[in-house]
Amino acid sequence: MNTILLLNGLVGGVIFGAIYALIGCSLNVLCGVLRVVNFAHGEFIIAGSFLSYVLLTLFGLHPILSLPIVTIAFFLIGFGLYYLLIPRLAKSDEPETSSFLLMFGVSLMMIAAMMWIFEADIRAVEFSFDPINVSLLVIQDAYGEGRDGRVIVPTARLVALGINALLIIVLTYFLYRTLTGKAIRAAIMNREAIQIVGINIHSLSASAFGLAAALAGITGVVLAFVVPSIDPNGGQDISLIGFIIIVLGGLGHPVGALIAGILFGLVEQIATVFLPQAAAQMLGFIILITVIFVRPQGLMGRMTLR
Amino acid sequence: MAKSGTIKPDDFSEEISAQRLKSSLWYTIITVLILSCFLVPLQDGNLSFMFSLMMWVTLATGINFIAGFTGYMPFGYVAFYGIGTYVTAILVKVLGVSEYLAVPAAGLSGILLALLFAPTLRLNGIFFAIVSLSLAVVCQRLMSLLPEEITGGSHGLNLGVATDRTHGYYAMLIIMFVALVSASWLGQSRLGKALKAIRDDPDAADAMGIHVSRVRLYAWIMSAFFAALAGGAQAWFTGALDPITAFDVLITAKTVIYAMAGGLGTIIGPVVGTVTLVWIDEIVWQQFPVLNNFLLGLIITLLILFMPRGVVGSLMQHFPHLRKYIM
Amino acid sequence: MIPKIVLQLKGLNKSFGGLLAVKNVDMLVNESSISGLIGINGAGKTTLMNCISGIYRADSGSLDIMGVSCLNWSPHDIARLGVGRTFQIPRIFKRINLIDNVMVPALNDNTDNKTLYERATECLDKVKLYDLRHNNAEELSGGQQKLLELARIMMFNPRIILLDEPFAGVNPTLCRLMIERIKELKEQGKSFLLVSHDLTSIYQLSDHIYVLNQGQVISEGNVDYVRNDPEVIEAYLGNA
Ligand SMILES: Nc1ncnc2c1ncn2[C@@H]1O[C@H](COP(=O)(O)OP(=O)(O)OP(=O)(O)O)[C@@H](O)[C@H]1O
Ligand SMILES: [Mg+2]
Repeated sequence: MNTILLLNGLVGGVIFGAIYALIGCSLNVLCGVLRVVNFAHGEFIIAGSFLSYVLLTLFGLHPILSLPIVTIAFFLIGFGLYYLLIPRLAKSDEPETSSFLLMFGVSLMMIAAMMWIFEADIRAVEFSFDPINVSLLVIQDAYGEGRDGRVIVPTARLVALGINALLIIVLTYFLYRTLTGKAIRAAIMNREAIQIVGINIHSLSASAFGLAAALAGITGVVLAFVVPSIDPNGGQDISLIGFIIIVLGGLGHPVGALIAGILFGLVEQIATVFLPQAAAQMLGFIILITVIFVRPQGLMGRMTLR
Repeated sequence: MAKSGTIKPDDFSEEISAQRLKSSLWYTIITVLILSCFLVPLQDGNLSFMFSLMMWVTLATGINFIAGFTGYMPFGYVAFYGIGTYVTAILVKVLGVSEYLAVPAAGLSGILLALLFAPTLRLNGIFFAIVSLSLAVVCQRLMSLLPEEITGGSHGLNLGVATDRTHGYYAMLIIMFVALVSASWLGQSRLGKALKAIRDDPDAADAMGIHVSRVRLYAWIMSAFFAALAGGAQAWFTGALDPITAFDVLITAKTVIYAMAGGLGTIIGPVVGTVTLVWIDEIVWQQFPVLNNFLLGLIITLLILFMPRGVVGSLMQHFPHLRKYIM
Repeated sequence: MIPKIVLQLKGLNKSFGGLLAVKNVDMLVNESSISGLIGINGAGKTTLMNCISGIYRADSGSLDIMGVSCLNWSPHDIARLGVGRTFQIPRIFKRINLIDNVMVPALNDNTDNKTLYERATECLDKVKLYDLRHNNAEELSGGQQKLLELARIMMFNPRIILLDEPFAGVNPTLCRLMIERIKELKEQGKSFLLVSHDLTSIYQLSDHIYVLNQGQVISEGNVDYVRNDPEVIEAYLGNA
């Protein structure tokens, strides 16, 4: 019986872990290129969920089909937001801390705006796949005679996992094989040098901001597959998980965040199986604090930031 | 030794009189503030509003010790406030201790928590901010996880009629007074100078013989102490608390905004910023409850982008002769 | 008379990842003397200074300051032993005024405010920054910041002074003023370790010179010896 619980935890862990990985990865693209820690990331994600919700309720567009729209819209928003917010930051006394505060302000505005439009209640996203659930594994007579144990996953979650896996592959390919991706990685490693090489740091940074926003939007849509209800106040919890992931994986280290995200998802989901929920939630923070004191550069990061 | 002889002979006495001018201006402001707060209950004024004004002044002054003087931005500042409310409420409700003892005990608990969190001061910049925020969330979750008989779980505690609002009000007044006096002492002390040096360049201050981690710890403890006291007075005054509101990130946010709007690192700034914004909040924003947080966010964003040193700080930056008057 | 040794390094090593920035360096600084330290960019001069002043942790070796073995002590403890330093890129306290800047190293002293203040104004006067005393340090030019660092060191009044490129970006007149001040301090019994690319000043000031190349001391001796050492010419001026 415990095996079934454990297996369920594992499957859940991979599904949530992939989402966390994506969240961490996009946060780290920003953090690496711009030295900006996006406090509003959770709100971007929720906004992504809401956009797909709106498209679904107004036009009956299936969330999978809304993905390209969300991607493009969020990329443009992020791109514009960069020019609106970031260049001025460089002039402040402590750009890193200021960026955190700045994005905190943005997050407050986004929460308020979403609360105003959608009101405080939690919206259910109503769409379904056929069949609703997939049974991955059946263990016969697990609970006694004739009562089989099953590892069951909602189809929507499997689809989410599929999309996530695809995104992660595309993202890795983008970062390691394409010119822009390589430029972004170069900027993470050495911001000064890249300007000398003749790359326009502003348009590159704006693209990175756009990319991170687009990823957040997609995460929002995918999140609605996994947890089909949207809470305008839920962003902060998501951001917090994102921070845990990027600190675990190393600040400004996209691939580190991918690994840390999946690990964290597994630990969290397995912990929910065996511990009370609040304790399982605290586990994340305890891991975070331990890692910060034992290995402040993160699991795979080098000490890149000062 | 070659002396160019440009030094004015009475330089130091000039400096002293400049200091006096600054302090007298500052103490005038404090006196006006304290007096008007003192008189409110006697005249049946808006007690709740004045209470929250005093609380925010205390918090903004408190966060200034660490954020303004050492450059550390504790995103989980609310942890100290929250622990103060809880310690007071538990002592009063569960152990039957008098409020007069419970609130100072809350202050001590703030100091203890600050010592517990002191290792986080080794981190810098964004790491510190993230960890501090997480610690506040940990405190919040912990309070709702503890047995209901102690913390009241997720419902919190209700002190009911056990507490006297007016007494809580005057407790807050005293706490605010002590906070402001401490701030003015710090502003002129050598400790304050050392702290500002650390804020501007910790490594250089270290190389100049300043024990950076110890000095910073003093500021951290002062910061925590006043937040916890403010939390304690809040529990006394309102008589009810729950984990969500006691550890709300918005409390940190407002504290930071008020302090920053006035000018972190100056003594007067956080007071000016708080009084102005809390009034605006009362008069204007309450008309638009939905937009309240939106405006809050907008103000943070605008402040960071256009006036990171706040009103007082920018004035001092652009009009150097004002430095003579501003503490 | 044998001069008193105030600072002694033996076999100091410091690496960054795979890069050995300081290799097995031995060094002596005598009381009331100026030891010059020269070497091409990236030779390891600043790293060496950071190891002495405790900002970097050295990998191995020993450091003796006035008879106290103090390798890898924290910077403030080294400072309290009587070692003051300036930085290659000036590190001033930008949001406080010049007087407070200069006062920082003396904040722990047991003197009254008046004496402290007067000493601070004197130090500022000696580097011609007195008129700017109420300005915030961020309002100074790069060269003026170098002067402020010198004033801060004078206020500090340590036994040993480490100067990292004090003349960089300072105009010739003020450079001469700085040289004057350095000589004065030496007369008062201070010992210096002086890093500079300005060879004329180094040759003029130093009693002893160390030449660093790729983290190693490749030559040392008095000015005349080092100037004519073919290895130095090769490493420092060669292929130019
Ligand atoms: N913090 C650091 N991390 C990694 N490598 C470093 C660090 N500081 C210095 N180095 C390396 O150590 C070597 C010595 O540097 P150092 O700054 O000591 O040179 P320097 O002699 O002071 O040069 P310059 O004349 O340009 O000031 C260089 O190769 C440099 O790249
Ligand atoms: Mg150097």
